[in-house]
Amino acid sequence: MNPALKESRSRREFRNEVYLEYGAADFHDVCCSLVKDHRALLRLMFGTDERLRDGSFRIYAVFSIPGQDRFLIPVLQLGDKESSFPSITSEVPAAQWYEREISDMFGLSPEGHPDTRRLVFHEAFPAGSHPLRKDWSITDEEKAVWGEGRKINVPHPFMEVAGEGIVQIPVGPVHAGVIEPGHFRFSAIGETIFFLEPRLFYTHKGTEKHFESFGFSDGVRLAERVSGTDSFSHGVAYCMAVERMMGIEITEKAAAVRTLGMELERLYNHIGDIGFLCAGTALAVGYAKGAVIREELQCLNERLTGSRYLRGVNAVGGVTTDMLEHADDLLRTLDSVTVEYKSMMKLLLSSVSHVERLENTGKLSRDIAARLGVTGVAARASGLADDVRKSHPHLLYDRMIFEAHTLEKGDVLARMLIRGEEAECSISMVHELLESSYRGGLTVAVKRPEAYASALGYVESPRGSLFYWVMSDKEGKPFRVKLRTPSYCNWPAVPFAVHGNIVPDFPLCNKSFNLSYSGCDR
Amino acid sequence: MTIPSSLIETTQVALLLAAAPLFTGWVKMVKCWMQGRTAPSLLQPFRDLAKLFSKDVVLAENASWIFRFTPYLVFGVSVLAGAIIPVLSTDLLLSATADVIVLVSLFAIARFFTALAGMDIGTAFGGMGSSREMTIASLAEPGMLMAVFAVSLVGKSTSLSQMTAVISQGGHAMLRPSMVFALLAFILIALAETGRIPVDNPATHLELTMIHEAMILEYSGRHLALIEWAGMMKLYLFTVLGIAAFFPWGISLNNDLPAIAGALVFLFLKLGFVGMALVLIETGLAKMRIFRITEFLGSAFLFATLGMMSFFMLE
Repeated sequence: MNPALKESRSRREFRNEVYLEYGAADFHDVCCSLVKDHRALLRLMFGTDERLRDGSFRIYAVFSIPGQDRFLIPVLQLGDKESSFPSITSEVPAAQWYEREISDMFGLSPEGHPDTRRLVFHEAFPAGSHPLRKDWSITDEEKAVWGEGRKINVPHPFMEVAGEGIVQIPVGPVHAGVIEPGHFRFSAIGETIFFLEPRLFYTHKGTEKHFESFGFSDGVRLAERVSGTDSFSHGVAYCMAVERMMGIEITEKAAAVRTLGMELERLYNHIGDIGFLCAGTALAVGYAKGAVIREELQCLNERLTGSRYLRGVNAVGGVTTDMLEHADDLLRTLDSVTVEYKSMMKLLLSSVSHVERLENTGKLSRDIAARLGVTGVAARASGLADDVRKSHPHLLYDRMIFEAHTLEKGDVLARMLIRGEEAECSISMVHELLESSYRGGLTVAVKRPEAYASALGYVESPRGSLFYWVMSDKEGKPFRVKLRTPSYCNWPAVPFAVHGNIVPDFPLCNKSFNLSYSGCDR
Repeated sequence: MTIPSSLIETTQVALLLAAAPLFTGWVKMVKCWMQGRTAPSLLQPFRDLAKLFSKDVVLAENASWIFRFTPYLVFGVSVLAGAIIPVLSTDLLLSATADVIVLVSLFAIARFFTALAGMDIGTAFGGMGSSREMTIASLAEPGMLMAVFAVSLVGKSTSLSQMTAVISQGGHAMLRPSMVFALLAFILIALAETGRIPVDNPATHLELTMIHEAMILEYSGRHLALIEWAGMMKLYLFTVLGIAAFFPWGISLNNDLPAIAGALVFLFLKLGFVGMALVLIETGLAKMRIFRITEFLGSAFLFATLGMMSFFMLE
């Protein structure tokens, strides 16, 4: 069943991707109607500079409609003289950051966006410099100024909350612990958080631009390093996008190894995250137990692949090692992990003082989660049954038995319980994977992609849905690589979750989302 | 052979300076064992202090004399407090000059200046820490005084030496309901005053959750060393105060050498035991939400009041 949409200028179908090209006014209406009338989810939105190809900029908005394994992608074509496009943020709040980023990267400003400040670039970055334009260049003088970070080219005023008794608490970007940088501006009344504005993108590395200087096959090494604990997911999503674009199918065996890696990554992340929550409540035993189990799993990763973060397994066209050969080691480690994990959960859930801290803390309502396009554990804990493994089956997930667990409450405890249930699911999926044997070799031959071919790659990483979109140029080299991490979707939801909580509970709320700064900032 | 009480006093202060880091090291050690980790050496706190003393002090540009003066004051006050609590013997040079009410005020002075220093440099964390610390103090100090009064009713004096002597000679003092209530109140208050879990987490790196650590976040070098050392002494002092008031057996009533030596052995045994009990509390509980502390300290006050009332009604 296709939603009735306005007639497009051109329509192109490619696997489960439907590209529909529109003019500015129609693009806006179609995007809004998809969300309003068809409950579509905005998966990602990005721009491309295709002036070399046909003299136009394009903006792609990728939607998926619940219950259908297809992506509807309205495309806005803009002439090379145009400098703005109609913003959809007022109707589709999930688009807020994407549109600001397009403005930063391409100099195309979203007309009617409620927040016109820059998103990715901080004050020192020169005004009017848009790195993802193909003709972008930067002088040495300008480069020297960025490093200093002191000169203000474009001011970035924080949102002010005025009134009696309201205190501003600036926190970060340098923190007391060894964690990534992020600045948080609290407006608090006493200890109660009234408003929080995070400032991120301190670790912006221009990764998407950097991909353009690699070959497609080498890009996987960069993808694996976008976000440490999601390394494998990034590798799979990137390879999947490139393989689809090239028109090659990986073997069943490679798909099985990737599925196994995905679940191992989910397992060590979820158990580690449950343990990390205990650091927020100062429950030392739980923290230590979580760290021990995570370490065992990461040691297992190292024995299987030579990398604690499962790096170097994925390659375009398949996988480099057959992790399934180590079935004995896998089963032995998982058995001991299962026992320890169960005793840890029993300990945590029977600790009244711990559960009391988690309950009703950092509540994210279902409505706000849906409107902001929250993904992963945070979405499922707030009652949104969104799991890319279910809605857009890939790898071997169409034949695996698993549930996309949801809870309604949306508090820190719900997020912890969802992680717990998914970890148990991952254990049983690994067992299931090891029961059968799989056809085919590890890799298939790589093809040269056609000119200006493009495709999506997507997985459910431990943090939530992760998307890559790749496009080749005339010579079959990367023309544009867009990556959208789950952290990028979930960061805007954190201020809503902490509203009304007290300042000392912020680290706990933040940990329960466990967002990656590096993955968000790229 | 009798030792002059001036020598006892000197020994006690020396013991305070040396045993406080050792005790902190012991607590850390047991904590590591409980969590299945390899423990650092018992001497680690000394190494940390030595490291801090050898580092340069970094001062905020707008730090006033209060900020520079506070570490010395806090350290001095802790040493003075150590001189009036009977640790080895009740026959102390300073015991007549200061009673238990003075002791409580000494801690209050140290806290007052730490809170001022926290606000002095004008950072958000300092102010936040000071505000939280004073909230806790306003609840803990009345409870502390009530608990101490309940004990001094049994000990028939507010002089610490006098109380200790009476209670240790009383034999069955611990069986009194007033003492049991006072002990419960004292434990709750000591946890809050020394910044232990479930009230504060001394090991946290999460600056937003800190209470005591937030106030001293801007200190460095020898200033930080003095404050850290004073913090260790505070934990030790509350422990020996609890021992002197509730479990005084072993503390010498005269200045005989064998009795003092015996007191020393008893002290280390008791410290070891208290350290383990503290770790049990700290590992078994999560830190409570900051607004729960009012209920926590409210119940401490209630216990202390019950202690006093049961003294008049039951004993």
